[in-house]
Amino acid sequence: MLIQFTVNKKSVAVEAPADITLLDLLRDYLGLTGAKEGCAVGECGACSVLMDGRLVNSCLVLAPQADGSEILTIEGVHAPDGGLNDLQENFITYGAVQCGICIPGMVLAGEALLLETLTPTRAEIRTALAGNLCRCTGYQQIVDAIEATAQQRRNQ
Amino acid sequence: MPRFDYVRAHSVAEAVQLLGDPEILSRPLGGGTDVLVFVRHEKPPYDRLVDISRVPEMKIIERHGGEIVVGAAVTYTEAAESPVLQEAAACLVEACLSVGGPAIRNAGTLGGNVANAAACADSLPSLVCLDAVAHLCSRSGERALLVSDLVTGANRTALQRGELITHFTFPVPPAGVRSAFTKLGRRNAQAISRLSMAAAGRLDAQGCVDFVRLSPGAATSQPRRFTEVEAMLLGQEPTDELLAAAGSQTAEVMIGMTGRRWSTEYKEVAIQALAERTLRRALAG
Repeated sequence: MLIQFTVNKKSVAVEAPADITLLDLLRDYLGLTGAKEGCAVGECGACSVLMDGRLVNSCLVLAPQADGSEILTIEGVHAPDGGLNDLQENFITYGAVQCGICIPGMVLAGEALLLETLTPTRAEIRTALAGNLCRCTGYQQIVDAIEATAQQRRNQ
Repeated sequence: MPRFDYVRAHSVAEAVQLLGDPEILSRPLGGGTDVLVFVRHEKPPYDRLVDISRVPEMKIIERHGGEIVVGAAVTYTEAAESPVLQEAAACLVEACLSVGGPAIRNAGTLGGNVANAAACADSLPSLVCLDAVAHLCSRSGERALLVSDLVTGANRTALQRGELITHFTFPVPPAGVRSAFTKLGRRNAQAISRLSMAAAGRLDAQGCVDFVRLSPGAATSQPRRFTEVEAMLLGQEPTDELLAAAGSQTAEVMIGMTGRRWSTEYKEVAIQALAERTLRRALAG
């Protein structure tokens, strides 16, 4: 069936089976491989994307459900010049990236939070990341990077 | 060949026509957080999913006089952010905030939680505590059932083929009633409830209980209010002794219904503490 939506501010129309996930649609039909399949049951958050501004697990969204919506994947998160944005820079500065598989989801969970508030407490940052698992960093550095970004964006 | 077809409904009337199509066995699709996990491993026992997640009539949260109306396609996040529910149904808001993580709460719906009817479903004890009624619609008409009657057991409901939960209603609790929800899981986020508890209550001018509701989750196969415990609290002063006794009574009622099982040794003490603590929060003057 034809699925039409906006991905990273670009309109797309994709002919795809009705029974695949949004994650498979993004990866296999649109070549957007930033979202990863970790658990495939909504527990790890590696497939996180924003759908109409809200964080969702793309492994739990049926591809045709995305029809008519706006999807933001990690490929759409960048500075105006195409380089890393401030949050991504801070992930590096604060040592928040190790193996990297959770990071696209972590950055999107961070962006979802920062869309809602630029004054999150550390507890609120942890709540925002509660559905995104990282087995390397112990989360501390990821929380630091998001906290620092919130502060910088407040001062802009 | 796709294993099933997909169609999006734009109104309750359209959804009901699609779901009741005798030619194509169809099921509703809400937030997908249970359906997508299921179809990944199992051959779906239907030919088509009818997406009801964007039906406007099913997204409302409104107060009509003495009644609250909550659409079945309302997500946990939408419920938790609703000022109407924050004011009238704290136990439901707390239950919604305890579900999964943000991404699950942004997708999963109250109607889906009830229709899936997992024993550990987090919204069930609060809906039952609030005496919520589920409104069902099909080609053959409408009917309304208490949520505690709709859910007949773990993953079993009285829903018939072609029937859709459109919304829930519950009476606005009397002025001054507080409610609370507590969940016992293995960790805070992304956790399946081991046990949960919803309670509501109020004290009169003398400091005695004049309104009380108690509804445990994941404790009995069919969710229900523990009216035996409510009866022992009504009219009494909620002393530490009384609340402890209410905890013990809660455990007794549970064991009376489920019998002693491998998990009872744990659940017996856990449910006592959970009932006591949740009642304490609901009855805090």
